[in-house]
Amino acid sequence: MDKTENKIKKDPSLMVFDKKTSFWVLLRYKYLTLYFLKKVLWAIFRFVLLVGISYVIILPYISKISGSFMSREDFVDTTVKLIPKYPTLDTYKAIINDNGYWSAVSNAATLSLLCAFVQMLTCAIVGYGFAKFNFKNKKLLFLCVIFTMVIPHQSIQMSMFMKFRYFDIWGIYGFIAKTFGLSSQATPAISNLLNSYWPLGIMSFCGIAFKNGLYIFIMRQYYKGVPDELEEAAYVDGAGVFKTFVKIIIPMSIPMLVTIFMFAFSWQWTDTFYTNLFFTDTEKINLLPSIVKIPKSLQTEYAAKITYEKAIRNTCGLMILFPLVIVYLFAQRTLIEGVERSGITG
Amino acid sequence: MDKAKKINIAEDAPAAVKVKKRKSKSLDRKKGRLGWFFIAPFLIGFVLIYLPMIVDSIYFSFVKIEAVRGGGYNPIWVGLRNYSYALLEDESFSTKLIESLKQLAFNIPAIVIFSLFMAVLLNQKMKGRAVFRAIFFIPVIVSTGIVESIEVQNSLAEAQSQMTDISSGTMSSSSSVGNELISILQVERFFSGMKVGNQLLTYVVAVVTEVYSIINKAGVQMLIFLAGLQSISPAIYESCKIEGASSWEIFWKITFPMISPMIFVNTIYTVIDSFTSQSNTVIVYINEIYGKAEGNVRSTAMSWIYFMLVLLILALVAAILSAYIFYQRRD
Repeated sequence: MDKTENKIKKDPSLMVFDKKTSFWVLLRYKYLTLYFLKKVLWAIFRFVLLVGISYVIILPYISKISGSFMSREDFVDTTVKLIPKYPTLDTYKAIINDNGYWSAVSNAATLSLLCAFVQMLTCAIVGYGFAKFNFKNKKLLFLCVIFTMVIPHQSIQMSMFMKFRYFDIWGIYGFIAKTFGLSSQATPAISNLLNSYWPLGIMSFCGIAFKNGLYIFIMRQYYKGVPDELEEAAYVDGAGVFKTFVKIIIPMSIPMLVTIFMFAFSWQWTDTFYTNLFFTDTEKINLLPSIVKIPKSLQTEYAAKITYEKAIRNTCGLMILFPLVIVYLFAQRTLIEGVERSGITG
Repeated sequence: MDKAKKINIAEDAPAAVKVKKRKSKSLDRKKGRLGWFFIAPFLIGFVLIYLPMIVDSIYFSFVKIEAVRGGGYNPIWVGLRNYSYALLEDESFSTKLIESLKQLAFNIPAIVIFSLFMAVLLNQKMKGRAVFRAIFFIPVIVSTGIVESIEVQNSLAEAQSQMTDISSGTMSSSSSVGNELISILQVERFFSGMKVGNQLLTYVVAVVTEVYSIINKAGVQMLIFLAGLQSISPAIYESCKIEGASSWEIFWKITFPMISPMIFVNTIYTVIDSFTSQSNTVIVYINEIYGKAEGNVRSTAMSWIYFMLVLLILALVAAILSAYIFYQRRD
């Protein structure tokens, strides 16, 4: 017994701590060391830094939320910073009543759910095709996927509009109609798909909608990580390629699919570019970008008009984000898990 | 499926090796042909819709569109006039291009370094890690599309009000609640004590004032870095610690080379993302032009010029970075 104590005195690193070791011994050998001090200092520094940056991220939302409850007088009052003196719900009421909030939300929900679901399936299927099959020109085709990712959609803004305004694949119908004089129009087309869910639906189905290249890329990377033996086992048991995909691959990749779904849903939900492009008539289909405006009942002229209108617009933004936050809270765990497993690492 | 079984049986018999090889090749090819079914949706969409759109778009940038009474439009060939308009006549376009290039040169290092730093921090074990990760993830979901366009609208309104304020001589009351994170004056005062170069000072001040937008733009990059960090085997770190390396050395000797492919991916992503985001000055300008008279063709021409520039920069960045990447060979 004495021998071991002597040994420990000579070399403290041999010490083993357990529940029996007294506090003073612990203090002497564990807590009062340079190593421990360094660790604690680093932990404090890290914590402060993370809290600080989180503060930077969250503060704008807090100020937007508090601004949304402020009444008109609060914006003139210089003593009011974050907590309104005369809290009111007028802004919310006005947006709901004047800007057609509910119809916009229900339309956007239909559109986003449709697009997100279709995009999720398409990207999974295409990603699987690129990951597990060897066919000619595969690399070239995958380059096309990358290509759709890189081209800024402003470049094809106009032709996209024209494509769906005068919808006609390869201009075949237009050519026939022109040569046979079937149509009196200068550019005959099968139909006008604007102001409907068709343009986004078709683009989602083909995997060429907003950021779909990224989704295909993510799914491909994920499926590349799936061992071939799994599928081979299924083949040996007598399942075909399609059956294997439906029964084994799809259930396996549900976290990834949820991630893609969430990305697609939220990006479609907050999208302004495609909605403004394809839904030109807000009377027909009222979508989320059209509710960002100053409600009629709140229009005024006074000193702090700019700040007030800014707060109203921010409130619109908050109300748009609110349904998204709820969905996000529910899917949060799967989402982050999926993102971390997305295997973009290659 | 019979074939698969036969091959498995054939594996046992060494005499049938040759047969097996030929058969597995054909099976592979047969399976490969099925791959076309899987990528069919994309292929159809790309060939029937996307490619014609690209071709149309290039075509439209060389024409002038005239609406025809009774429906339809009539393109009139004008050659390079839209391009020459964008580059020569429209003065603000070229200045905005240069401006956005400057912005990019400023943004890339800031975003990549920041996101790498945060990913390393968030990868360490600590309490409340999940909460911090969730908070850092907020901008990815939230700060695109509508919210971004609201910010743009707000800053436009503010700029307008300042213009009218100057002309009418009244006091500006547009100091908002959210924009008072750190005042520039404080930073300048802080740095004026140290004798550092003026250029570094302006860069730091710019980073500090832009910190909000940098954090907002770094979300996806951070996730990519996190995924990359988690794929590094802990055994390597362990052996380093046993050899007595400090964390600083471990970062530069292990983490940094191992994560370098991710740095490449993230730099490319940052370039694409900041070029195509709605708040980019050129994109805002192109959108503004789109609504004006003859704007549709002109904005198309402008965005093609812009795209060529993006491609050029991407190639440049890729060429520079790919010389320094370390790829771990994995089998």
